[in-house]
Amino acid sequence: MAEKETKSVDQASVEMIEKAAADGVTTVFDRAAKMKPCPIGAEGSCCKHCSMGPCRVQVPKKEGVPRPVGVCGATAETISARNFARMVAAGAASHGDHARSVAELFLATAKGEVSDFEIRDEQKLYQIAMDFGVEIGNRDLKDIAIEVGEMALAEFGRQEGEILFAKRAPLKRQELWRETGTMPRGIDREVVELMHRTHMGVDQDYQSLLNAAARCALSDGWGGSMISTELQDVLFGDPVPVASQINLGALKEDHVNVVVHGHEPLLPEMMVLASQDPELQKYAQSKGAKGLNLAGMCCSANEILMRHGIPVAGNFLQQELAIITGAVEAMTVDVQCEMQSLVDVAKCYHTKLITTDPRAHIEGATHIEFSHDDGLNVAKRIIREAIDNFSNRKAEVQIPSQTVDTVVGFSHETINYLLGGLYRASYRPLNDNIINGRIRGIAGVVGCNNARTVHDDDHLKMILELVGNDVIVLTTGCSAMAAGKYGLLTPEAAHKHAGKGLASVCEAVGIPPVLHMGACVDNSRILMAATAVVKDGGLGDDISDLPAAGAAPEWMSEKAITIGQYFVSSGVYTVFGVTWPTLGNEEVTKHLFEGFEEIFKGKWDFEADPVKAAGKMIEHIDSKRKALGIDKKRERVLYDMAKRRELEAA
Amino acid sequence: MKEKLEEKKSFDGKKVKVVGATFDKGKPDSPYYWRKKLRSRDEILEYLRTGERYWFNEEWYGSEKRKTPA
Repeated sequence: MAEKETKSVDQASVEMIEKAAADGVTTVFDRAAKMKPCPIGAEGSCCKHCSMGPCRVQVPKKEGVPRPVGVCGATAETISARNFARMVAAGAASHGDHARSVAELFLATAKGEVSDFEIRDEQKLYQIAMDFGVEIGNRDLKDIAIEVGEMALAEFGRQEGEILFAKRAPLKRQELWRETGTMPRGIDREVVELMHRTHMGVDQDYQSLLNAAARCALSDGWGGSMISTELQDVLFGDPVPVASQINLGALKEDHVNVVVHGHEPLLPEMMVLASQDPELQKYAQSKGAKGLNLAGMCCSANEILMRHGIPVAGNFLQQELAIITGAVEAMTVDVQCEMQSLVDVAKCYHTKLITTDPRAHIEGATHIEFSHDDGLNVAKRIIREAIDNFSNRKAEVQIPSQTVDTVVGFSHETINYLLGGLYRASYRPLNDNIINGRIRGIAGVVGCNNARTVHDDDHLKMILELVGNDVIVLTTGCSAMAAGKYGLLTPEAAHKHAGKGLASVCEAVGIPPVLHMGACVDNSRILMAATAVVKDGGLGDDISDLPAAGAAPEWMSEKAITIGQYFVSSGVYTVFGVTWPTLGNEEVTKHLFEGFEEIFKGKWDFEADPVKAAGKMIEHIDSKRKALGIDKKRERVLYDMAKRRELEAA
Repeated sequence: MKEKLEEKKSFDGKKVKVVGATFDKGKPDSPYYWRKKLRSRDEILEYLRTGERYWFNEEWYGSEKRKTPA
């Protein structure tokens, strides 16, 4: 692997960064080098919640120096906690609003109001129906789906009680949430309340603010994100193992290339259908192309990769680089993680940047709005625009050759099936192998890319350290793609990179040591897998008892903070890399890194060095193994008949 | 598919030949739709009660109702 001075460890990306420089195109890598982060904002010490500020309230490093407060008297702790809480609220709002779109489409589909979508996964529908207490019996599928859809939508506006999916969590965890007053009531309610609490002059106790942030984050993990995942599965299918390819080499020089970028899989699903339309394929050929090639970017990519095997062009920091190949006729963007700079990069080539969501316009982009009732036609229109643009390629096309095989689609249901088959589906083999020590523990490595660190490097270093130490890794989002580009998402990777114990289990089951579980909303699948491990038995009564840890080594977005917080609130030790947003305040940071353990039995940590961070995770896993009494290797004693008789006689 | 024999040590230390791993050639060209094996509503619900017993079987105890908590 390359050293830190490089911008990316991915050779395809390096090649495109060099091409960008040659073409005179500015990328995120250049901007990051030029613009240093604001030191006061970076440590969370700036308050701009009212027009008496902005107030810079930095805690003096010297003892005895009076601690400054904001114009309103807000302490540094209040300001730091408010900034952190607002990040949580923004992340939860993003996932929640994504979920609302999905729930609205789901209900419209159930009612037969839209023709392009259908209920594809009956099993998943029944799972949700049983969770929601919806009667199944001999009722018509449509009636069940309508009731499920209405109940899912009601979760957003719920004012009292508990969000419905919270009861999926281990019983002990639910009790803890009730005891600590952090059981979420409704998805929107928690976001609105947190925005209110963080307004000027409301909640001014940092511990109270952070508890409210924990509650809000739970309304995402066990609410908004989980609703997205579950309803998307019903509409598009629960992920099952599928082989595909990843990296910029997925683009084809002689094809019309369309890249779908963003997060909500509603339009991308239609794009998959449209791209298979023989008429459009013929139309592409009539323009001199060999055919149509669809590729994904960011979490939209994860969604269509794990359900259809559509290849992935890249993760967050590769969005501009895909256009720089000169081979992308159109890039669609919906919501979240889309850089505004795409417009300027696209202008340097022939790419049409197409915004598709009514909530996300970009100045200078073409807007073709996706609608539920006309989804397939919108997708076809976009593809036609792309085909018409094929002849406009102007710059030299240069597509990196790198593309790597991947096997993805490990939903928690699929893991359960793979471990035991249809008649013995079970997490027991996983638990047994954790208990016997072949698998040391479980790690969730997730999150974004960040231009403040070497692209993909921290993900890879951390994951390699973990699997090399027999820790099985569950991954989502851009982290999953980093792993994929390095070949870690194939069963063969176990033999190459995993410790002996983990490799033997992966070989027996036929799975990679790093399991791709989906997009960033699909971190809810990791919560479910962890819960299944708890419920299967032998590893404690709660997620916090498990030899498990979480990490986002290259985190960047507010959503990542929300995800990290719902893992912490669910009892997981969670380490973030790059930087930490409360570093300017020791007291707040101490509460998040230590105080939360007393409340949630899970805590935050920060470590910029990915290998050291992996070391901390392994140390935590070992401490949990010790607490469970499974830290010592026990000799396996094989009993022959004579020994058995001796036992019986005794 | 031809069986591949591998030499391994048995429990008593003797060398024995056992059938090794076998793999289908090539790469799968479609997702492994295992959920489609369940065809009717009854089959699906039965699977949920057994396979997904952690959430959908009232008789499932797991670790959560043990007499001696961990």
